[in-house]
Amino acid sequence: MPADRPPFEDIYRDYLGRIYAYVRAQVGTSADAEDITAQVFMNAYQAYARFEARNTTPSAWLFRIARNATLDHFRAHGRRERLRRTIEHQPMPEEDPAGQAEDHIQYRALLLQVAQLPERQRDAISLRHSGLSFHEVGRLMGCSEDAAKMLYHRALRALRELVQKERA
Amino acid sequence: MSEQEEELEVQALQRQLDDAFETTRPRPGFDDELWLRMQSSRPAKSRLGDAFAGFWEGIREVPAVPAAAVAAVLVVAVGIGIFAYSGLGRGGGGAATSSALSEGASRNYATGTFGRLPTPVFNGGAKSAPTSQGLADTASPEYLGPVQLTWTGKLDLTITTAPVFRYHEPSTNTADQFATALGAVLRERPAGFLGSYSASTYTLKVRGTVQSPQSSPAFFIFSSLSMPPIDAAGAGPSDLADIFLAQHSLSPQWSYAVAVDGSGDPVKVVYQRQFDAPGYGPAFLIDGSARRTGIEVDLSNNRPVLVSGLLPVSLDVASYKVVSAADAIQSAVASSGQGVSATPAPTVKLTQAELVYVLVPAGDHSFYEPAFLFSGSFQLDGKSFLKQVLVPAVDPSQRSP
Repeated sequence: MPADRPPFEDIYRDYLGRIYAYVRAQVGTSADAEDITAQVFMNAYQAYARFEARNTTPSAWLFRIARNATLDHFRAHGRRERLRRTIEHQPMPEEDPAGQAEDHIQYRALLLQVAQLPERQRDAISLRHSGLSFHEVGRLMGCSEDAAKMLYHRALRALRELVQKERA
Repeated sequence: MSEQEEELEVQALQRQLDDAFETTRPRPGFDDELWLRMQSSRPAKSRLGDAFAGFWEGIREVPAVPAAAVAAVLVVAVGIGIFAYSGLGRGGGGAATSSALSEGASRNYATGTFGRLPTPVFNGGAKSAPTSQGLADTASPEYLGPVQLTWTGKLDLTITTAPVFRYHEPSTNTADQFATALGAVLRERPAGFLGSYSASTYTLKVRGTVQSPQSSPAFFIFSSLSMPPIDAAGAGPSDLADIFLAQHSLSPQWSYAVAVDGSGDPVKVVYQRQFDAPGYGPAFLIDGSARRTGIEVDLSNNRPVLVSGLLPVSLDVASYKVVSAADAIQSAVASSGQGVSATPAPTVKLTQAELVYVLVPAGDHSFYEPAFLFSGSFQLDGKSFLKQVLVPAVDPSQRSP
């Protein structure tokens, strides 16, 4: 293993929570988030031998895999349908008792609202608040750093409107 | 709402988002569950498990050699220069075989008491394996064409008989006893396994003999994230593996040599099983890729992440007549020219030969039978290969057709 590449186990420990939160903000339910997170790390584990630390950071590499896995998930299941079911089931208690303890109600609601944003806005907010720099967000989303900043701030305002509408 | 108020609201929203992303985490236990799943799904080439699971994988059945002394010849070509083993030569202690076979008994076993032995059946075919003894995922181009073999080495064979070992197929009861001795509790009996068990820091799976691809009864310990590292100041990988195996009463009870591959993560420590052939000495057990097998301990940051190996089984032993050195050499060389190729077959000089043991599954009883492993290197298109030819050692008259 190259000296500049940490053991995969370290990456797993460091990023599991962050990747899960990112995915959760995309899909809205803990069950889907677990499935996709599992897929992300299985894929990453298989591909780690090809990971080049000099070309990218583990963070950017993992979030790219997570982003692709989430898009695949939506393609396979239909984002609109999943989201409808998510929102319809929002007031229902979590079936899994462990899931109830997992989330703060308030934050869960906020992440659900993030999940309702248009895809690029949702992505910009999720990646940025998962700890990525605007430069990394831009690279992942195929735009410049400035464009990523602009997209993020537009997304924030859209989210704020959603939150206000929900309160009203 | 003023612009300033709006900005304050946005900032508050940002803080809420920070908290939401910071505190949203999977349910407790998910990390361990996923880690175990990942360990279980490791690519076959990257763990010893596949050395068992793919015992004969990728090895092509060679057409019978007309009038030859052997019924089948197994040819394996292995890319050289990528062998990563080191530290060979430390002999292990213990009895020659399992608890059912004492060292003394192994010297006085009866001749041919198992009757005619099953002839090895090779599922795959000649394999020009881009393998590195299974220890690295280095990709080398495979060479699958025919070769012209010659023998230029020296094979001094003074023995006329060699022991053959037989074991009863382990049952679920055997697997349960093995797990209980480790302190693991039965969880389920998944397809293809005798049992899946859990302990506080790992999941254990036990499997019987696999007929196709042939592989020995084996155990697999997948550690969870809660498996602590082995704390032993100044200890090397083989010391750490020794400690882990001793702690879990898994130290080999058979003769072995230790090989360590520290070229990647995890570091792999392999206890290569040897069978004692009186008059010859220790002979390694090999798998279908000609890799020496036994027990493997994979260590990452001094933490065992995967431990796999031969499930202890009770062995019976009987002596069988073996072919002469001349016959073995003739059989090896006669395996030239397999396959069809428009280009001239490269000439390969086989220069070395050793007695090894191979698994021959046979239903309720399976066998470890002696064989000769010939090897020689050659160059093709600027690449180095190691050609290996495996010839059954038991005399054809004592094997079933």
